[in-house]
Amino acid sequence: MRRGLKTLAGIVMSSMVLSACAGLDPVQPWEKGNLAKPSMTFEGDPLETKYVEHIYASKESSSGGLGVGGGGCGCN
Amino acid sequence: MQLNDTSIPVVATGASRTKRALGSAILGAALALPGVAPPVHAEGAPESGVIGVRYLNYRDWQPGFDRIHVSAPSAYFLVPIAGSWSVSGSGVMDTVSGASPRWHSSVSSASHLADFRRAGDLRVTRYESRSSYSLGVAGSTEHDYLSKAASGQATFSSDDNNTTLAVGFGRAWDVVNPVNEVVSYQHKSTSDILLGVTQTLTPKDILQVNMTYAMSRGYLNDPYKLVDQRPNERNQAALLLRWNHYFDGPGTTLRLAHRFYSDTYGVRSNTSTVEYVMPGAGGWTFTPLLRYYSQSAANFYYDPVYDATLGAPYPPGYGNNPTALASADARLSAFGAATIGARIAKDFDETWTADMRVEYYQQKSSWRLFGTGSPGLAPLSAIFVQTGVSKRF
Repeated sequence: MRRGLKTLAGIVMSSMVLSACAGLDPVQPWEKGNLAKPSMTFEGDPLETKYVEHIYASKESSSGGLGVGGGGCGCN
Repeated sequence: MQLNDTSIPVVATGASRTKRALGSAILGAALALPGVAPPVHAEGAPESGVIGVRYLNYRDWQPGFDRIHVSAPSAYFLVPIAGSWSVSGSGVMDTVSGASPRWHSSVSSASHLADFRRAGDLRVTRYESRSSYSLGVAGSTEHDYLSKAASGQATFSSDDNNTTLAVGFGRAWDVVNPVNEVVSYQHKSTSDILLGVTQTLTPKDILQVNMTYAMSRGYLNDPYKLVDQRPNERNQAALLLRWNHYFDGPGTTLRLAHRFYSDTYGVRSNTSTVEYVMPGAGGWTFTPLLRYYSQSAANFYYDPVYDATLGAPYPPGYGNNPTALASADARLSAFGAATIGARIAKDFDETWTADMRVEYYQQKSSWRLFGTGSPGLAPLSAIFVQTGVSKRF
């Protein structure tokens, strides 16, 4: 129960942050040139990302946050 | 193979009957199926296809003990179809060799191993003007472990494309059949969900918040640890925050991430990463990176203090209650870890890209944040080097 509350609190906090962000002036399409650069995207090379994440998941006791992988690879 | 659970069993070489050490199998499994997680932010249908190959060389060790070596070549493709669909997939073969302790970081307990794994995944995605829908399947096989999985994910973007919501679901079915025959054909299943929001903040800032929750049921022990009795269920929650900022002047990008993690084993962890992407002349890009990780111990992990009568690796009182929850897996202990690394990439033209990524990793009990680490364990070090080439077409 305590863990569930912490998770809920995290979600609520995140929602508040995003709500605050929503109060910012919306970024217009012509302002998104830099946002489109590869370095600004959250997904990089899929093979590279998975190698790194899986190494850490195999040497530490934590995983998750990036996505649902659906097994096999241990992404789940 | 389920990697989130550190109880991943190890497998043996079919011909040699060589016993497996847990760490290797875990890593082998870890390398099994790269790239099945779909993007969780807004994106349209891809305009070009991609094909890439990649190679990983991994090595870890502790003082006086060379442990695991892994070689893992892999390949990836993405093909756009009819302007609103894409098909992507990847495959990997990894070869694992070395030795790994069967309890704590005991060198004398180490068992030798040699393993070969094959794995692959396939994903189909449909793109609409403000949304996408994808389905994927994955599988991996080795001598004593079989895993099959499926997942689905959808993204929905706001009209101005500044906000994207992602939802996903995954399910995996694993079968464990260890060569030491302590158990046979044990099953494990895992369901996981994802909720994510990506928000464009300014023309130079983008934020992402993801929450994942995974529920594993079934055989979660590591059959290659001499003492390893875990709960038959585990729930894992992770909250990931990522923020990218672009610097107009130098044209560089700062990439920050932090993950809060908690599970029903009692493990709590924090992970922070920093990357600084620096484009250079001639198509070169240099990216230094740092990572820090800290976790508390699982409730049933015990320190290397052994029963006075039975000796190592049995915890005090083990003879009176041998079925009690207990584990000597050092990955369930309390520790901290740090990584320093760099990535260098070269764009040869509009279509060809090559890169190399090198990381040095070290894990120590004394590096734990917010508390003392578990005593009596040797530090673990690792080097991993990736090289890759990709082409758009």
